[in-house]
Amino acid sequence: MQATIILISMLLGLCCGFVMHRSDFCLAGMFRDLFLFRNSPLLRSLVLLIACTMLLFEAARLLGLLSFSLPSSLFGLPSLTNLLGGLLFGIGMVLAGGCVIGTLYKVGAGNFPSACAFLGLIIGSTLYAEFHPQWKQLETQTRFTDAATLPQLIGLSQSSACFVVLAIFGGFLFRWHQNGLLRRPSVVKGYLQPQTAALLLAVIGLVSFSLTGMPLGITTSYVKVGAFFEQLIIPEHFANLSYFQGQEFQYLSPLSGQTLNAGAGPFWDGLSLVQFPLIGGIFVGSALSAISMGKFLLRFNIPKVQLISALFGGVLMGFAARMAPACNVWHLLGGLPLLSLQSILFTIGLLPGALIGSHLLTRYVLTP
Amino acid sequence: MPGSNREIIEVDICGQICPSTLLTALSEINKHKKVLRTGLFQLNILTDNHDSTNRVSEAVGNMGYRVEIEERKSYYCIAIFKEP
Repeated sequence: MQATIILISMLLGLCCGFVMHRSDFCLAGMFRDLFLFRNSPLLRSLVLLIACTMLLFEAARLLGLLSFSLPSSLFGLPSLTNLLGGLLFGIGMVLAGGCVIGTLYKVGAGNFPSACAFLGLIIGSTLYAEFHPQWKQLETQTRFTDAATLPQLIGLSQSSACFVVLAIFGGFLFRWHQNGLLRRPSVVKGYLQPQTAALLLAVIGLVSFSLTGMPLGITTSYVKVGAFFEQLIIPEHFANLSYFQGQEFQYLSPLSGQTLNAGAGPFWDGLSLVQFPLIGGIFVGSALSAISMGKFLLRFNIPKVQLISALFGGVLMGFAARMAPACNVWHLLGGLPLLSLQSILFTIGLLPGALIGSHLLTRYVLTP
Repeated sequence: MPGSNREIIEVDICGQICPSTLLTALSEINKHKKVLRTGLFQLNILTDNHDSTNRVSEAVGNMGYRVEIEERKSYYCIAIFKEP
């Protein structure tokens, strides 16, 4: 059964990497450009992606293809820490030039700054272990409510709440579609329209959730890699970090029919099983896309300040992804469609984060 | 065709962090706007980022420049010029 899960995750990653590279579906860029250029055409495709995912998740839940109940390990109770995590993540992703999955697909296409961001992600997520007990305490102290989702908070059924949100999103999408704003004019051969990419990614998200039991997510694996090295280098210190000992993450794996446990330590567990093949898949899928387009390009003569920015942005992002908890893909493509309050707070935090990141980027990194 | 008989000013952004291509294109246009206006010069931006070709076309096209995109081996050349 493990082999099936690994294979499915790898295939999902391959598709995801290929689609994201072809359409340059850069989630970090979508938020950044909103502030940097006051115009973010790709953000509309993200709205399409979130709306389609919401529709698919809710339909699948009603049909019995998805079974989950929140709060769970996937999406817990909302707290100030989700907002702060989102804020820091927003700064990090802009400085890194891509979010967690964006970084991966850019590395797959040979981008050197993104490779620095990748390294930063591992460093940042590992550093978080030093602060985990205090952060956990803050999370409990600043919890807002016992409701995990927006419908729970306002006393609506999940379906009615989804219906209202979809009606609003649908209105915007219909107008954008009518005005031709969802289509990107492009002369690039092999370019995949972001609106098509959004539909494909929504399907990939549904397959992931219904077969592996989780929406797309990869950041815990970065901690595992960091933890592995930390254990080798400073074993005494490593043994004292509680973050690496726990196996608190629990989810139902539909394919195995079992509840799997997982944690941040360097062990093979329920998360590594899904995430490592996904990471590998995204990387290879993107590389295949770039090579087949003839656009795989390695360049190392990049201004140093950009490499430092990418590394630092990666560290911030890795750290923030543990604080949040989880990365933007998990929240935007998994939690928002479920109307998780944690994800809503994370997304609200992302906005000022991207604004601050854009200022830092134009002030210190990409100075005219 | 990009670079018919105009003098070329070339800027290579390949492999750089996003959104370097658009920002650099805008600042280079600003720097060279006098000579670009004569129609005797052309700014070539080399980038490997395919969404940048869309973004630069849009933004620079709105500023009244002609933009032509040429696929080269493993990157794109965005030619920005004014017609005399």
